[in-house]
Amino acid sequence: MNVTFNNRDPVYLQVVRYFKEQIATGSIIAGQEVPSRREIAASLKINPNTAQRAYKEMEEQGLIYTERNHPSRITTDQKILNSVREELILQAIDTFLESVKPINVPVDELLALVKEKYVANIEE
Amino acid sequence: MIEVKNISKKFGRKKVLDGLSFQANKGEITCLIGINGSGKTTTLKAIMALTPISEGQILIDESPISKSSYEKVTFIPDTITMLPNMTIKESMMFMRDFYTNWNADRASQLLSFFKLDENTRISELSKGNAAKINLLLGLSIDVDYVLMDEPFSGIDMFSREQIADVFNSHLIEDRGVIITTHEIGDIEHLIDKAVLLENGKVLKEFNTEEIRMQEGKSVVDVMREVFLR
Repeated sequence: MNVTFNNRDPVYLQVVRYFKEQIATGSIIAGQEVPSRREIAASLKINPNTAQRAYKEMEEQGLIYTERNHPSRITTDQKILNSVREELILQAIDTFLESVKPINVPVDELLALVKEKYVANIEE
Repeated sequence: MIEVKNISKKFGRKKVLDGLSFQANKGEITCLIGINGSGKTTTLKAIMALTPISEGQILIDESPISKSSYEKVTFIPDTITMLPNMTIKESMMFMRDFYTNWNADRASQLLSFFKLDENTRISELSKGNAAKINLLLGLSIDVDYVLMDEPFSGIDMFSREQIADVFNSHLIEDRGVIITTHEIGDIEHLIDKAVLLENGKVLKEFNTEEIRMQEGKSVVDVMREVFLR
């Protein structure tokens, strides 16, 4: 696994985001077993304490669940899974808006351009 | 937990440690960062009682350091101390005979992790591979705390990566690790806690994830602020 972490955001949140991206893109699916904390630390090359903290955060957000003496699994709660997708889309839009805002494009022109580019991009 | 409380030490008239304090927890990697001469190695030696201190106190799991501390802590120096004509295998046998808490199982796991051949002589090892064997010999002693002097210094990038991988693996287990470095570079993500030293004093001690979370700063950002103030 090759993930590049930036040095200024908490690594554990970057790990949570990595899992959310995997969920949103369907690379990992509902109910799927996730690697142990040790395994994920070794494969993402992060400190095991950071992996532990990331898993704790994901448990709190309901993304994964752990039954006693079993490996953790991705939630099967469709509501949570859908909200992950929505969250990532909204975050991406926020980033886009922030960079396009100073240019002051009328919204219709912007939407038309986005649509044109997006469709062309998908067809490529 | 290792608690270093207000320790001072002089070499002649020069104060090498000047009221230095910090804590290192079990299960965490604590990194002492400072330029050469800031007191990093002397601090590690003081924790091992290899050098006397004139003031202050050092506690390991709440007990003052003594001979029995050696059952809890081990020190890995910055260069390998085995004789050049020994093979890796002979070095491991030497350690096994010398230390009652030698863990042969972990030693062989580390050897295969580093993909090294036990029949190689110490003199034939590259700098990077010598550093790996040095680490192997120290980590294979079963203790709660490991002190490492500059484990990443002066070795090639791929050896650094492999050594960093050991820190992230199960081979480090739940031990407390203190490492020293004069350049943090690519090991920022590896450490739990940073202790910035200058002239035998601690300028700042912080948890790396907390500083990213609360201030959005990298370890290097904080170093710039503290050292270049």
